[in-house]
Amino acid sequence: MFRVELVSDTSTATPGWSYAPTRAFNPSQTITAPTLSRKRNIRDAGKGADLTSRQANAIARHIADLDRENQRDVSIPAPVKQAREAGARGTRAKTTSSVRRILTSQKTFRNHLDDEEAAIAAGGGGIGGLQGLGGLNLVAQARGKAAAAARRSSTPASVVGVKRSSEAMGETGMESEMDVDSDAPGPQRGLIKSEYDNDPLLRSYAPSMPSERIMQRLLAEPPLSYNESRAKPAASGKPGRRFCCMCGYWGKIRCKNCHLRTCGLDCYKVHEDSRCGAFF
Amino acid sequence: MGTARARAAPRAPATPTQPVETSQHLPDKTFVIDNGAYMIKAGYASNASSSDEPISACSSIPNALVKTRDNKIVIGAQLATVTDWNEAMFRRPVEKGYIVNWEAEREIWDQSFFDGKPTVRNKNHHIGEPENTTLILTEAPNALPILQKHTDEMVMEEWGFGGYARCLGPTLNVWNEIHSLFGDPISNTSEAAILPADCLLVVDSGYSHTTVTPVYKGQALQRGVRRLDLGGKHLTNYLKEIVSMRQYNMVDETYIMNQVKEAACYISNDFSGDLEKTWKVGKKRQTAAEEGIVVDYVLPNANKKGFMRPHDPLLQAKKKKGALSGLDAEVLSEDVLVLGNERFSVPELLFTPGDIGMQSAGIPDMILQSLSVLPTGLHAAFLANVLVVGGNALIPGFMERLETELRQIASAECVVRVRRAKDPIYSTWLGGTRLATNREELRKVSITRQEYQEHGSGWAIRRFSGLV
Repeated sequence: MFRVELVSDTSTATPGWSYAPTRAFNPSQTITAPTLSRKRNIRDAGKGADLTSRQANAIARHIADLDRENQRDVSIPAPVKQAREAGARGTRAKTTSSVRRILTSQKTFRNHLDDEEAAIAAGGGGIGGLQGLGGLNLVAQARGKAAAAARRSSTPASVVGVKRSSEAMGETGMESEMDVDSDAPGPQRGLIKSEYDNDPLLRSYAPSMPSERIMQRLLAEPPLSYNESRAKPAASGKPGRRFCCMCGYWGKIRCKNCHLRTCGLDCYKVHEDSRCGAFF
Repeated sequence: MGTARARAAPRAPATPTQPVETSQHLPDKTFVIDNGAYMIKAGYASNASSSDEPISACSSIPNALVKTRDNKIVIGAQLATVTDWNEAMFRRPVEKGYIVNWEAEREIWDQSFFDGKPTVRNKNHHIGEPENTTLILTEAPNALPILQKHTDEMVMEEWGFGGYARCLGPTLNVWNEIHSLFGDPISNTSEAAILPADCLLVVDSGYSHTTVTPVYKGQALQRGVRRLDLGGKHLTNYLKEIVSMRQYNMVDETYIMNQVKEAACYISNDFSGDLEKTWKVGKKRQTAAEEGIVVDYVLPNANKKGFMRPHDPLLQAKKKKGALSGLDAEVLSEDVLVLGNERFSVPELLFTPGDIGMQSAGIPDMILQSLSVLPTGLHAAFLANVLVVGGNALIPGFMERLETELRQIASAECVVRVRRAKDPIYSTWLGGTRLATNREELRKVSITRQEYQEHGSGWAIRRFSGLV
């Protein structure tokens, strides 16, 4: 399942390999192959249709570029300070092995994230993965803890157990178990009294605060993984906006060679002469 | 890994003056570090609570190693001495908001907090005796467990703090005085202990990313934490890229472009309107200059800092004429960036990441995504208490835009109140100092050195995630 890659940097104290997750086939990310006629492809390209793989790659590269600290790759070594090692450190204890390992580690965030993803895919990951317990053990632990907490609050045993999946604590399940909290800071009701307050048409049906028990359970949940917590695409389904690649105004016309947008013939001419590399 | 305990054990014995049982309690002195990717905010909690202006007890230290043009390497607080920022290169130990490279981070921490003797100048951020100090350290939400483990091991084994609490940065904000900010009546008297706000939705828009964290009574509701991978760094780089393509090549001038961004960028409340006004062809460009959308930014040179001034459309022509036009030599020699739609289309990314093709929701949509996994009963409470912290909150127009868009997409029954923290950059640090004054709550979230030595880093990580 996993590709084992040799880490090229030999100075690391970590083992010389790291897990690399297999990029599984994912229909949501695959790019529609241009099976349709070329004309239709061109026509649909502006309507928020699926991106071609080249476009997707160009966007991914652009975002990665924006994430860089410097335009060029530079190595900035931390200055060596023997004096500090000898003198100022005197009061401190000796460097422990784990500290030394951390300090010499050259892993980037990307490496750590790949390790973590691979661990999650293998059924571990999270905090449990670090302990060598395996994720299941930990979840069971957390579950047991939550169950114990629930038992202490003398609730029927049928509702104990933390539901895991992200949508598990869905609205229906919640509503049925909800008690009303007396001091709920709900929307401002009853601030101004009028004779229409009891009119059923004008009543606002604000949902009540969830009970203390539900809140405790929500608070006891483990954090999501790094990738799970990323914001999803907006649900509104607004078509993407296109801008002129030269001046930043609306991209009204598209170059027939490279599909970049320009705002008008002025910008298009400049684009054609200089930057039309047809890289899409 | 049973070795965790064994690793932790070999420590220097506590100083003989210190009785054994005190190590079971937290040391009284509390030091708060908000370890931002761009800037470290650090200081003693006691100094902050006693003085009238608590921010003055906070030192901000750039969290970077910089290589200047003449190949000198400058660390952390020394950056204040750098005068020539041209082609400065940065190395930051914090990647994507998390401390990844401890080799560099240790240099910066050592230099800022531990090296040398306490003097008048560094008394606010010098840690003389870590073993008699409790450290409150912030981290970004959804950190990788391995990085958390590294952090714990470094703090407890390299420096050996007497007490240690690793907190989610956004959650610390609830300890601030939120009620006055939202105009709510303050219920408890000032003598009572400082308590966290009940429900607060913290939007933290920083250097590496923007996160939304619903906080309930001081604890994060983990399932509702969402992150947009865009922050100040991306805005600066995007501006750099646009300007480099349209005007001068600025790709190596990260520092200068960051200054340009801070001076010139704003978030438009009428994006398409402003875009029309700045179009080069329309007659409206003239009006845009009059309205002050198009500006000139004069780049810094050896003698002068960069600054912004209203656009002068004739400047280019005058310069061509040279001395004949009657301009003095200083004006003739200066380099000017003309900023039109760059001013608002760059920070616009935070609200519509789709503009660079990113498949992600903007901040207002992200807030609703965060709420959608929480019980409906909480929606009203969170929407009425949205607090924005982080440097990007200072971009003009940010708050208005967020409030408008959130109002549009939120349920009509809910009150939407969006507030900027009084000092968005230092708000998290300040919250940490206020947490430190509530010893009981602090004890709940922190561990002592002895506990760490007994149980090891594996236990510490479970303790901080609330599993033990």
